[in-house]
Amino acid sequence: MGGPLEGLRVVELAEGVAGSYCAQELSDAGADVIKVEKPGGDRTRGWGSRKRGDVGVAFLSANRGKRGVALDPDSEAGAAILRKLIAGADIVIADAGWSAAAALQYDSLGELNPQLVYCRFSEYGKGGPWADQPPYGELVAQLAGDGTGSLGAIGEPPVRMATDIAGMYAAIYAVMSICAAVYARDESGGQRIDVSLFGSILAMRSTLWVALSNPDEWWGFHLDSYIKPPDTGYHCKDGAIYFSLARTGPEQREQLYRELGMEWVEGDPLFELVNIDTGGGGGRYSHLARPVWERALANFTVDEAIEITRRYGGWAYPKNDYEALVAEEQARHVGVIEAVEQPGVGTLRQVAPPWDFEGTPAAIQGPAPQLGEHNAAVLAEAGYSEAEISRLRDEGVLAG
Amino acid sequence: MSNGPLAGVRVFDLTMWMVGPWCSVQLGALGAEVVHIEQPDVDWSTLGAGVPPLINGTSVGYIAWNMNKRGLSLGMKSPEDRTVAYELLKTSDVFLINMTPGVADRLGVGYDIVSGINPRIVYCAITGWGESGPMALLPGADTPAQYVTGFATGTGAPDGDDEINRHFTQMDATSGNYAAQAILMGLLARKRTGKGQRIHVSMLRAGSALQSVRIGEYLASGHQPQRLGSGSQNTAPDRAYECADGAILGVSVTSEDEWRGFCEVIGQPELAADPRFAVNADRVDNREELDGLLEPILAGMVRDYWLMHLNRAGVPVGYPMTWAELRHHAQVLENDYIVPVETAAWGQVWTGGPPWRLSETPARMFSPPMPGEHSREILAGLQQQRAASEQPAAARES
Repeated sequence: MGGPLEGLRVVELAEGVAGSYCAQELSDAGADVIKVEKPGGDRTRGWGSRKRGDVGVAFLSANRGKRGVALDPDSEAGAAILRKLIAGADIVIADAGWSAAAALQYDSLGELNPQLVYCRFSEYGKGGPWADQPPYGELVAQLAGDGTGSLGAIGEPPVRMATDIAGMYAAIYAVMSICAAVYARDESGGQRIDVSLFGSILAMRSTLWVALSNPDEWWGFHLDSYIKPPDTGYHCKDGAIYFSLARTGPEQREQLYRELGMEWVEGDPLFELVNIDTGGGGGRYSHLARPVWERALANFTVDEAIEITRRYGGWAYPKNDYEALVAEEQARHVGVIEAVEQPGVGTLRQVAPPWDFEGTPAAIQGPAPQLGEHNAAVLAEAGYSEAEISRLRDEGVLAG
Repeated sequence: MSNGPLAGVRVFDLTMWMVGPWCSVQLGALGAEVVHIEQPDVDWSTLGAGVPPLINGTSVGYIAWNMNKRGLSLGMKSPEDRTVAYELLKTSDVFLINMTPGVADRLGVGYDIVSGINPRIVYCAITGWGESGPMALLPGADTPAQYVTGFATGTGAPDGDDEINRHFTQMDATSGNYAAQAILMGLLARKRTGKGQRIHVSMLRAGSALQSVRIGEYLASGHQPQRLGSGSQNTAPDRAYECADGAILGVSVTSEDEWRGFCEVIGQPELAADPRFAVNADRVDNREELDGLLEPILAGMVRDYWLMHLNRAGVPVGYPMTWAELRHHAQVLENDYIVPVETAAWGQVWTGGPPWRLSETPARMFSPPMPGEHSREILAGLQQQRAASEQPAAARES
């Protein structure tokens, strides 16, 4: 049995993170994905650093399990190929960098294929003064949608979340709406969906907007990141931890203080408030108590500090970097990382699809395509003869 | 019934805290009928994990994480209430739970029992760390998931330390969203196979999946992401700059076309041909030299100048907005990205609107229920269902 989306055909007209990762998720779930690139290729093929040796890895991480076609969409023959592919597709993913051409807009494609689910990505949304910008500005969306300065020190320049949250959030939301629209297709026919990086960040921050609606009390970690320095974890001898004593009782805390050699804080009302209310990095006054904790924790390793905190009913977890994540026994046990054979590169390790389906298992379908790798196969399926395909190659309609 | 794409889909929502409730908010937004179960022995003043701020004894979490649902009180440990739950499960399409492994079995709603009652049900369990392994029984929550998955890696000022995101819902919401995807995929698979199935999503794998690109780069190169402030790991120039008016401008140049356009706008077309900056990988590797050139240029004009001209050249640009700006911004309002919702406990609140525009089957947002608010209505519906099924076939035909 293949994945849950087996039998669905996707044509991806996108580049960067959002549209590509969206289509990769559909591939992991078993859909047949054809990624179309312009002759210059997806911009992520050039992302990365030579010094670090990761040029193009962003492409490989967001495009596995797809077949690749490279063509000139502005040529008449290229546009004709696209229309043929789209006529036989269930889903089109088009980003605003691609869908500007009239022939690739939903209005014309929906007529060609009335059952088509067409999902369009933009930076800021379908309407409004900033409509139609292509969805490649990760930092731009993070800045515009932050609303609280939740990263970086107060008064200092803004900091970005190092991972591509805006593009990824948009991709994740888009997968939901695409599946829902395919589910509804028997009744409502095909339709157009619009998703943006900006809108996705705002949706992800809903809790914060609710908290800000009526803050009688400027309290709670959704609000007080405005008023505190960045949270970097509690430093121990060899690393940092998160801990919370929110679920502990007074006796457990008394024992914990003693074990850590900081019994003198007992009875300090501020200190107790920190622990009881939220603990860890979340309390309003946690930054004031942090130096006291860190003085004590400096005598313990991360493993020791975690063991002691848990022993007295607290929560404690290590602050991992990626090396520690990959080495974490639990991560290995549940299969966070999977290998894929990438021709020309070798064995690549990547993050596995996050779902366990007992009936219709998801899985990485294969490596990422080279530019135009499947031109001939995909066009042959679409009814082009070998002679036509080689003519299209000679005329520069096909690339790669 | 809703007009959304999931109209007619019923979700039995046995969830608490954030990750599960957030998942079912999404299903409700897409038009499913979500029946949110509250157990009467839980002190509802602390619902939503008691996350402050609280107003009228209700946590912000309870409000924000239970939109688009109906509320039913059921004591899963009481035999009578469990019978009601089983009846409801017969006509449900989705079963959703986020509890420590083993709890579903103890509450009588393990997969064997639930699929025995309704083999077509799509059964989704969300856990913190997985269903087995050394961490399986530890509590899962947003902040621990940020710490364990390395989410802070590379986030922070160059001279600082890796920062956790203090908007503590990224991992909960991400995991809930991946679970919502899985449920939707399960519903699509059911159309093909006629059968339901069991699905599991952990915050550990979901939180790692969110970082697929960055972790992929680490695994390929062996280098941890560096702290670059607002700078990007893999593209340049792609960071925030200060302008002549002291305002912050975000610029994301991520392709060679954009780079050429950017060089034109800043009046330095020759930079595009400079071998130090010819293609992205050069600019990333010579980022300090590049910034040394760009900082004084961008500091030479006000932000609005750069916004207008870079935008025209097709370079993504933007700037940080405060809540006060965001909630009234034309871009937000015209796309319904932040919407007002009436609530019983808090009065009118603002929340994120559905992030999708579906042209034929629109998504929606509506008020969260108070615990058990719709119990009477839902139980009456079950009574009718029971009466209908107990009627002899002959009587029904007449």
